[in-house]
Amino acid sequence: MTQIEPDDTRVDWEGALVQRACKGDVRAFERLYREHVGRVYGLCLRMTRDPAMAEDCTQEAFINAWKALARFETRSSLATWLHRIAVNVALAKRRKASVVLESTSDDDGEVIESDWTLETPLEVNEIEAAIERLPEGARDVLVLHALYGYSHLETAEMLGVAEGTCKAQLHRARSLLRDKLGVEVR
Amino acid sequence: MNNANDNGERKVVNSLRDLPTAVQPPRDLWAGIEARIVAEARIAAADAGTRKRAGSNLSRLRWMAAAAVVAALAVGMWVGRSVLPTIRPTTSPGTGTTATLPNINNDGAAALQAAYIVDPKYRKQREALAKSLEAKLASLPPDSRAKVISSLATIHKSMQDLEAELGKDPSNALLQELLVNTYQDEMRVLTTVHEASDAGEGI
Repeated sequence: MTQIEPDDTRVDWEGALVQRACKGDVRAFERLYREHVGRVYGLCLRMTRDPAMAEDCTQEAFINAWKALARFETRSSLATWLHRIAVNVALAKRRKASVVLESTSDDDGEVIESDWTLETPLEVNEIEAAIERLPEGARDVLVLHALYGYSHLETAEMLGVAEGTCKAQLHRARSLLRDKLGVEVR
Repeated sequence: MNNANDNGERKVVNSLRDLPTAVQPPRDLWAGIEARIVAEARIAAADAGTRKRAGSNLSRLRWMAAAAVVAALAVGMWVGRSVLPTIRPTTSPGTGTTATLPNINNDGAAALQAAYIVDPKYRKQREALAKSLEAKLASLPPDSRAKVISSLATIHKSMQDLEAELGKDPSNALLQELLVNTYQDEMRVLTTVHEASDAGEGI
């Protein structure tokens, strides 16, 4: 008997919902929304640091996703696709809000591949607060790479920066977190 | 990200990877999303309908334009046929033939709304030429005289027909233009007669 992996089942189920949504089934899209809204909102919130703006970004991301659903290739991950849309929306919103963009550098920082382990366990709230206080560029990269697990290349593509910039921002984020939290992040 | 653990639990993690990636928004955002999706679908449907109607209107306009061209050609042909074969010069005891200018039809002029015909300068000039027309014609060689009388008869018949049609359809631009052209033709003939007569030449 072939055992179906839970992830495969989810993808199949998701694929069916996507197909139904493509045909205009709003209820199917609502189910996709319910499935993904947490991660999309979490990403938007971390990128914008503003719950109201994060709500706007989340709504905008799902509306954009609905419009572009026909172009979504079911082979790829819907979550990744939604995150890309959400990142684009959040970046655009931030630009519109006239937030001063910090300069990014293509200089490679000292890149240490890590699992972002803390020297000492810390409370979630404390870490979240430290991340929230990071400069935008460093925070975006840290959130996508360290929290959401995207590769340097994927993160760089999502943010529209060079991979070197992405690595440099991660290095910077690590240093700043160490200063803020008072512990090493390996 | 305080709502990541709103339950008040002081959760401790060893790695950033253990931080929760899913954060539920404080309110349900679906209602707003659904409203926008439905509204945009309606707008898209309305746009599609408008484009379809616009296409249909354009097609109808093309047909109407084609029909107007055909109608204009038909009127032109009708005017041509009804004018050209009806040359009936009148006989005069003195010259054998005579030519008198018809009065400008005020109804036709009103329908025409052309400054050219109601222009006092034009009317004065026309009256002066008409007054001396008999004398000028008498001084012309017989074949030239017959040619002029025939031409004027044709022109005047055209004027009558056109004015009659304009009475029925005052806003017909083609008829208006044809009538103006006919008056211009008449003026050209009258001027030519006077110039030829003064020079003692034939036409």
